Amino acid sequence: MKRCLAVAILASSMVACKAPPLRTGTVPSSLSVHELAAAIEADARRSDMETDSTVRERLAADAASYAQACISRSPQSAACLYYRAIALGLDAKAHPLHASETLKSMLAALDGAEAADATYSQAGPARVKALVLNRAPGWPLGPGDAEAGLAAARRAVALAPSYPPNLLALAEAQAKNGDSNGARATYARAGELSRGLPPGADRDGWLREAEQGLAK
Amino acid sequence: MSAAVATLVFCAPGYPGGAGDAQPFVDQFAKATAAAAGWNPDSLAAVYDPTEEGGLAKLRDRESLLTFVPYAFHVQHGSELHLSPLAQADVAGVGTQERWTLVGKAGTAVTDASSLEGYTILSTAGYAPEFVRHAALAALDLSTNVKIESTGQILSALRRVASGEPVVVLLDQTQAAALPSLPFAAQLKSLVQSPPVPVALIEVVDSRMPPSRAKAVQAALLKLNSVKDGADALSALRLKGFTLPQLPANAPKP
Repeated sequence: MKRCLAVAILASSMVACKAPPLRTGTVPSSLSVHELAAAIEADARRSDMETDSTVRERLAADAASYAQACISRSPQSAACLYYRAIALGLDAKAHPLHASETLKSMLAALDGAEAADATYSQAGPARVKALVLNRAPGWPLGPGDAEAGLAAARRAVALAPSYPPNLLALAEAQAKNGDSNGARATYARAGELSRGLPPGADRDGWLREAEQGLAK
Repeated sequence: MSAAVATLVFCAPGYPGGAGDAQPFVDQFAKATAAAAGWNPDSLAAVYDPTEEGGLAKLRDRESLLTFVPYAFHVQHGSELHLSPLAQADVAGVGTQERWTLVGKAGTAVTDASSLEGYTILSTAGYAPEFVRHAALAALDLSTNVKIESTGQILSALRRVASGEPVVVLLDQTQAAALPSLPFAAQLKSLVQSPPVPVALIEVVDSRMPPSRAKAVQAALLKLNSVKDGADALSALRLKGFTLPQLPANAPKP
């Protein structure tokens, strides 16, 4: 009963967007690393909004193809390692029964991305690592580790303190570690920063998450 | 048979996962069980709640006829909720019974029950102090000065043990078996182990299910691993099947 109740990890921010149709066939060799990363990002955004498990499986497979192509082109780049991790997150979400092993691979990819360029995507490697460590089942069923998640979130905030998702990840980690006052203060800061940004789907999503965190 | 919907409440305090994550799997289990009982597949619904409070609230609903709970929950709430065991889960990698292990820091004064005074026992089963005192650690005759607290952060709890804080951790069999994998395993020591106790039970709540239907559910559960779709439904919940309940002599009575 225990492992089955493992959470699937949402590795990217929850934002609404209009997603392109699913790709069919092989990944075009003409795509650059930047384009491959963008394609995985689009799959992740669409998966966040998708309720049909079959479609989520297809999106995960699609993202895995792009990630493989990216790693083949630039195996040590932060972008490819980071988006390989995002693709693995989609796979964990689509196949929760095997999520534990997949999430360990995801964390390894994020370690590589952070070592390559910790500032990539507004400290994305540390931010996503924090989310995984906070939300994954804990030892021994999975790689979840609240203390390590808090440390990762703090690294992300140290690198990009004005990026609301980093503060949202930190607030979540503080709450998970029992620091409810710290979490409230951080959610409030994330809300302030979000309100100062131009209107848009991302900003609205971050603001909503901050308000939901404050309401807990 | 009646088309009325009965609800099976899964409640697993301290274990990971949210209700939404688990729902497809408990739905699959309910359909397979109803089908094995010869009922309309929609006649048995299932809900999952990962919290003790949420589970208790759902079990107070008159439509909650059955529940799937860890043995610790049975010990803590079985009498109050009048839970009558129908079947005992056979959990993959564990079995129908498990031993719980109390772990302390190696090389310190924590060697037996008498030296636990002033300590806090942390466990995923900490929500069930009756279970901790009278089932898992019955042999220790714990003093009332020992605190018992629930935690879902077992790794953090073990780090606290290793760092010398006045805490000990009560581990289930899966957790205890994984202890050697920890980098600080050498700083930990098993203090005492429980006798074998059931892992999890499916039970009738407060006699809400007529005996004839309860018998049908029991028969369905016992054969579930050999019927169409049953093995898949069990596997998704990391179960191998069910056996007749074999409760320890000191288990609470409904």
